[in-house]
Amino acid sequence: MVATVGQQNELNQAKPGLKGEVSHFSNERIGSKLMAMGVLPGSKIEYIRKAPFGGGCYVKVDNFLLGLRKAEAASIVLK
Amino acid sequence: MTKTFTVALLGNPNCGKSSLFNQLTGLRQKVGNFPGITVDKKIGKFALQSGQEVSIIDFPGTYSFYPTSIDERIVVQSLSNPNDENYPDAVVYVADVTKLEKHLLLLTQLRDLGLPLILALNMADVAEQQGLEVSLGLLSKRLGVPVVMLSGRTGAGINDLKVLLEAVIAQPGAYATTQPFFTMSEQEMAVAHAARAIVPGANTYQGLLVAHHYEWLPFLSDAQRGLVKDIAEQHEFVSLRSQVDETMQRFDRFTPVVKKALKAPESQGRGMTERLDAVLTHRVFGPLIFFGLMLLVFQAIFAWAGTPMDWIEAFFTFVGDQVRSTLPAGWFTDLLTDGIIAGLGGVLVFIPQIAILFLLIAILEEVGYMARAAFMFDQVMQSFGLNGRSIVALVSGGACAIPAIMSTRTIGNWKERLITILVTPFISCSARIPVYTVLVGFVVPPKVVLGIFNLQGLAFMGLYLLGIVSALGAAYVFKLILKTRERSFLMLEMPEYRVPVARNVVLTVWEKVQSFVVEAGKVILGVSIVLWFLASYGPPGEMAAAEASARSSAEQLQMEAAERDDLIASRKIEASFAGHIGKAVEPVIRPLGYDWKIGIALITSFAAREVFVGTMATIYSIGSASDEFTVRERMAQERNPLTGAPVYNTATALSLLLFYVFAMQCMSTVAVVKRETKSWKWPAIQFAFMTGLAYLSGLLAYQLLS
Repeated sequence: MVATVGQQNELNQAKPGLKGEVSHFSNERIGSKLMAMGVLPGSKIEYIRKAPFGGGCYVKVDNFLLGLRKAEAASIVLK
Repeated sequence: MTKTFTVALLGNPNCGKSSLFNQLTGLRQKVGNFPGITVDKKIGKFALQSGQEVSIIDFPGTYSFYPTSIDERIVVQSLSNPNDENYPDAVVYVADVTKLEKHLLLLTQLRDLGLPLILALNMADVAEQQGLEVSLGLLSKRLGVPVVMLSGRTGAGINDLKVLLEAVIAQPGAYATTQPFFTMSEQEMAVAHAARAIVPGANTYQGLLVAHHYEWLPFLSDAQRGLVKDIAEQHEFVSLRSQVDETMQRFDRFTPVVKKALKAPESQGRGMTERLDAVLTHRVFGPLIFFGLMLLVFQAIFAWAGTPMDWIEAFFTFVGDQVRSTLPAGWFTDLLTDGIIAGLGGVLVFIPQIAILFLLIAILEEVGYMARAAFMFDQVMQSFGLNGRSIVALVSGGACAIPAIMSTRTIGNWKERLITILVTPFISCSARIPVYTVLVGFVVPPKVVLGIFNLQGLAFMGLYLLGIVSALGAAYVFKLILKTRERSFLMLEMPEYRVPVARNVVLTVWEKVQSFVVEAGKVILGVSIVLWFLASYGPPGEMAAAEASARSSAEQLQMEAAERDDLIASRKIEASFAGHIGKAVEPVIRPLGYDWKIGIALITSFAAREVFVGTMATIYSIGSASDEFTVRERMAQERNPLTGAPVYNTATALSLLLFYVFAMQCMSTVAVVKRETKSWKWPAIQFAFMTGLAYLSGLLAYQLLS
């Protein structure tokens, strides 16, 4: 991957409240697991809030709610 | 008699599979093990209208055939091998109809196994409330599987499922598809065909699964593993790439079907769940509410468990007394009363605590709250090698380590679960309270400092904090030591908040209590018989001599009957094997400031920590009055026979306190850890490091202070 950190539109770089659409995953292993759960390229995603203690993110994907670790959120690249 | 038909119940996590399982089987379920692995296998039985018996296996919730936890692997290893002992005759696939799209991936994968398959659309009640319209005919036609709509919560539609099962049993072939849903690439096809030849009876898709998972699939021999590896390399097969392609293709194929078959009304704004979560997972209020809830759970355990525990104790005392007065005196009666009946009482007395804790935890789980707790604390827990879900075990450990350790089953990652099990007993449980109460007075005076703080209360809190710090510290050390190839994920779905189903809660409590009584009970009963033997028997002649000498001194001093009996008990325990062991270990525990009497108490209190108080009472001949304060008074009078100095000075008492903070003085915990880790290795390691830490800290405290 040539893009430097932060230049890509990664979910964990966003601020709570952001609504977007999943473009692809920067980590294939995490991506395949997310896809099995129903998070796919093209899914609508809303970053609802940060977890306590500087942890992960609470997001809404299409019509379900998901808690993600920071690394997991970082592998979601938005359109 | 017709042959039992075996059905596998499968579905994603949160699809409501357990509710359906409980609806179908009620109390006709038991927990077994999958071969060679620490995952529970729940099997239930039910009968169809025709009288046909159906055996149903509740597989762990899983998202796809590409597993990331041991739980999910079970599904793949059982279904990719037609010769597996758990390979079913048919599959019932449960999907949440309100989130149908994401639940269909595994369905279409199952379909490609060529097994008879039924799609059960669960949450029919919620769908109706939401005004969701489903065209069952269209779904069934386009997906190629029979479809029923039902609700595991209300029981609606369960009969339709049973009727459909009758049809499947009568004509299994008609409900299995030979036309695969997923079209493999040429490369995948070549690999699958080659791999399929290795597993007798496997179809092409099963061959492909073997090619994906050959590294860990337990039914392959090393030679077969090498063979599949060669096949994969020869075709330049990249598992992850192929997984992603397969998932994309499946979604591309069924998404249009779902769009066509389901009509959902426009959702209006934020649902109830999202509004609740704005508070319950808030960065500040969320953790506060969690600790508030846990405080309530604790309060409930202390408030509600005490009385039934007293009843159970009273009952076993009563039965013991009855047996003693009915049967002739002798070793058999002693074994029955002091060994077996007392041992049984020692097992069953934990039931109220276990039942109440699991009742409350099961309610929180059913409501959907536990996923939030795990999500909130995941980051903190991860830095100690634990998992968000560990927080529940650690907090519960403050009541009793036994149910706490049993609650770790929700942790998917084996390493994180194991660490949680290993460190939970460091958290000060309720059985340590009597020991702390007796000893803390020797260390700090009951003085009030800063106007409001009782110094002893602060010392108590200090002991609890020490337990927490050591649990996290030990977890961190294990995180560095233990190695695992299993990847750890959170990716936790937050289910919608729901009113709990009483049946599910009650069955969970029943299952936990049952498995504790049966599995841990055996070990506890065995150990208490051994401890009883050690404390009641001694080298030939010594016990009788001890009793005779106690009787004669009692006569000389003109003691009351109760006083005399206390003296006899005290002399006898000194002459017993336990007394001999106490004296034998004295050189080892001397550096910690303990004498042989404390040695006896350390040994007997391995049964349970609170036994320390009772044993000290017996040793100091006040067995008939064994409350904490009498024992403490008597201990304060104890003098070293050589120096005349008090035995229980600050140094000894602090050393003992530290010993009880750290040591794994609880055979029930040992038994439960053995049960949960399915080996003696981990309880042995745990016992060694906890006792080692206890010894070192006791040694340090005594040597520095005396």
